[in-house]
Amino acid sequence: MKKTFSIGGVHPADKKISAGCSIEVLPTPQTVYISMSQHLGAPATPTVAVGDKVKAGQVIGEPAGFISAYVHSSVSGTVKSIGPRPDLAGNKVTHVEIAVEGDEWADGIDLSETLVTEIPADNRFIIDRIKSNGVVGLGGATFPTHVKLTPPEGKKAEILILNGAECEPYLTSDYRIMLEKPDQIVIGAAIMKQVLGGPRTVIGIEDNKPEAIESVRAAISRLQAKSASYSGIEVAVLKKKYPQGGEKQLIDAVAHRQVKSMGLPIDVGAVVQNVATSLAVYDAVMKNRPLTTNTLTVTGDCLPADRQKNYLFRIGVPFSFIIEQSGGMPEDAVKVISGGPMMGKAISNLDATTVKGSSSILYLTAEQTVRKPESNCIRCGKCVEACPMGLEPYLLNKLARNGMMDELEQNAIQDCIECGCCLYSCPANIPLLDVIRVAKGDVMRAIRARSAKK
Amino acid sequence: MNRLLVSPAPHLHTKTSTMSLMRDVVIALLPTVIVSILFYGWREIMILAVSVISCVLLEYLITRFLLKRPNTTGDWSAAVTGVLLALNLPATSPWWMVLIGAIVAIGVAKMTFGGLGQNLFNPALVGRVFLLISFPVAMTDWGPVQGFIGGADAATGATPLGLAKEGGIEAIRNLDYLNMLYMNIGGSAGELSAIAIIIGFIYLLARKVIRPHITLSIWITVFVFSGIMWLADPSAYTDPIFNLLTGGILLGSVFMATDYVTSPMSAKGGIIFGVGIGLITMLIRYFGSYPEGVSFAILIMNSTVPLINKFCKSKKYGR
Repeated sequence: MKKTFSIGGVHPADKKISAGCSIEVLPTPQTVYISMSQHLGAPATPTVAVGDKVKAGQVIGEPAGFISAYVHSSVSGTVKSIGPRPDLAGNKVTHVEIAVEGDEWADGIDLSETLVTEIPADNRFIIDRIKSNGVVGLGGATFPTHVKLTPPEGKKAEILILNGAECEPYLTSDYRIMLEKPDQIVIGAAIMKQVLGGPRTVIGIEDNKPEAIESVRAAISRLQAKSASYSGIEVAVLKKKYPQGGEKQLIDAVAHRQVKSMGLPIDVGAVVQNVATSLAVYDAVMKNRPLTTNTLTVTGDCLPADRQKNYLFRIGVPFSFIIEQSGGMPEDAVKVISGGPMMGKAISNLDATTVKGSSSILYLTAEQTVRKPESNCIRCGKCVEACPMGLEPYLLNKLARNGMMDELEQNAIQDCIECGCCLYSCPANIPLLDVIRVAKGDVMRAIRARSAKK
Repeated sequence: MNRLLVSPAPHLHTKTSTMSLMRDVVIALLPTVIVSILFYGWREIMILAVSVISCVLLEYLITRFLLKRPNTTGDWSAAVTGVLLALNLPATSPWWMVLIGAIVAIGVAKMTFGGLGQNLFNPALVGRVFLLISFPVAMTDWGPVQGFIGGADAATGATPLGLAKEGGIEAIRNLDYLNMLYMNIGGSAGELSAIAIIIGFIYLLARKVIRPHITLSIWITVFVFSGIMWLADPSAYTDPIFNLLTGGILLGSVFMATDYVTSPMSAKGGIIFGVGIGLITMLIRYFGSYPEGVSFAILIMNSTVPLINKFCKSKKYGR
């Protein structure tokens, strides 16, 4: 039997329309805007000044805390301005504006396509490369990768799970890199495996991507034939179900372990990394290449087949430029989403810039996405059936609307992973997650305030 | 520049709506409706029409003039109540009795509580039980009624459960169970054909409208409980197959006990609920003064649903 997580989940149509589109290199615009807040944690501090000449791959922002990351320029040119600029939601974030001149890269970066398979023996060197090249988790949370690969004292990684599930409908960037760069992904996995002390390593891929499963399996055997450092890496075929790519769900599906409430994956001996992160780790360690590019899908039902794209883009390129390059916004699109349709963010400002974690531009039509009016809860229990955390969204909604904080905490609202299954499945169109998300924030604040007092 | 729509995730929504779910229930009831019309003819058409029209109209009038809220009849739930009420009445029911049943079902059992989703008891069953208590003679008048197929007496006479209650086990000696599978003898319109109800059950399962827990646990409980009693004393107690196929067990377990609003949320809760209904039904049939107890059993178990929901929580991740 194929593996999947044990509680809840939904089956939206997977709509991988752009799956057949090979990755194309997106041209570079005249100006890029590089955000200092591309990762979870403290925004980076700019290390350049207006008028400075920068090269591609050069550091332009340094970490401002333990959980923070380096930011590099993705282009060569002149710093035009440094200052606040609205991100995709309209929030002001510090950006470095660079006028592009030529394409000159910083020294010491290997830009060749030659595959390097010899993993450095020194783990400290590896962690240092991952950190100094600004690698963050590309599965959605953009958590700094070097922190995740350094488990706290007394905790040991027993399994490394690579997330190749790509369970969000429409997205195909992970699928494309698994087809086009499987060796690099597997080498990245082997690097992380070594740093973590050699735990069993499993690459989880959903069964709607048989070509990716084939491709990664072939890469594993190719590399295993070459060197012993690639043993103990395998592919797990997962039964398609959303949110399989959720960290907690993936651990349950692959290792049959469940992370305790408010706990971390490492508590059950698991470390989860996205396949795109694995590719970034390969580039950072083997090529000394900073995280300055990523793969992004341009898709949507209302987009003609010849304009569906998978782009290799320079981080900091405005969304509007990518939209222009791919033939403009379709007539009947009313909503543009960065990320998947289940957890992605609706873009309010198309001039906003791409960041390390940008994975898609998804166009949705009014018919697909406009919410219908809310009606009475009919207590059908579909939200309870759908919740992958085993919560009771209908109850949390009711408690939240009555401000019952203690009851919300007793009913585990703090465990909500905001996957959207409840709202997706509600036949009465009740905005369950909208209400739960706000209430969860309040409860989390109360929990933090309480533990701070102790 | 284009004006962009911005809202929080998720950005997609299932195609299933309250309306589509209720419409599926009506579709699942069609085989049963067709069988009842074939056997009970124009009278059944009249009962169905009066019941459905008055249920829908009442809900419209109450939301429009009493509650002054948006019209909710578009969700088809009033229509479902109308069809179910009609199928729970004898084909001899006069139109005014059907109307009273509809007033009690929609007016009292549903809208007083705040409409769909708020009611504690199944509206159609409250309507039926109100009529059963108020008009006991009319509610047990099983014919004769002229249908479109079969003779006037094809499906008339006392119900098998009524016979068993009055005449003891001897009175039902000659029943043909195979015949009961597709065409019962005597009873409410919706109790005629087991096959028609089971077709509806399979449709509801296939469309994922309901889960099987509640229905199956009722069947198993009825079968096991009556099986034990029958094995202990076959001369005093009716046998398990008889108990599954007669009366309202099938209609009740597939269409009434599975009503979302008045049944538990979790699978575990559904099993407890179903076992309760099965047990109470059999206790009433064997030891009560009424020949049939499904309606009462479901209504009694409806009242325990808030409690079941409180104690049967779903299994939480990592806890």
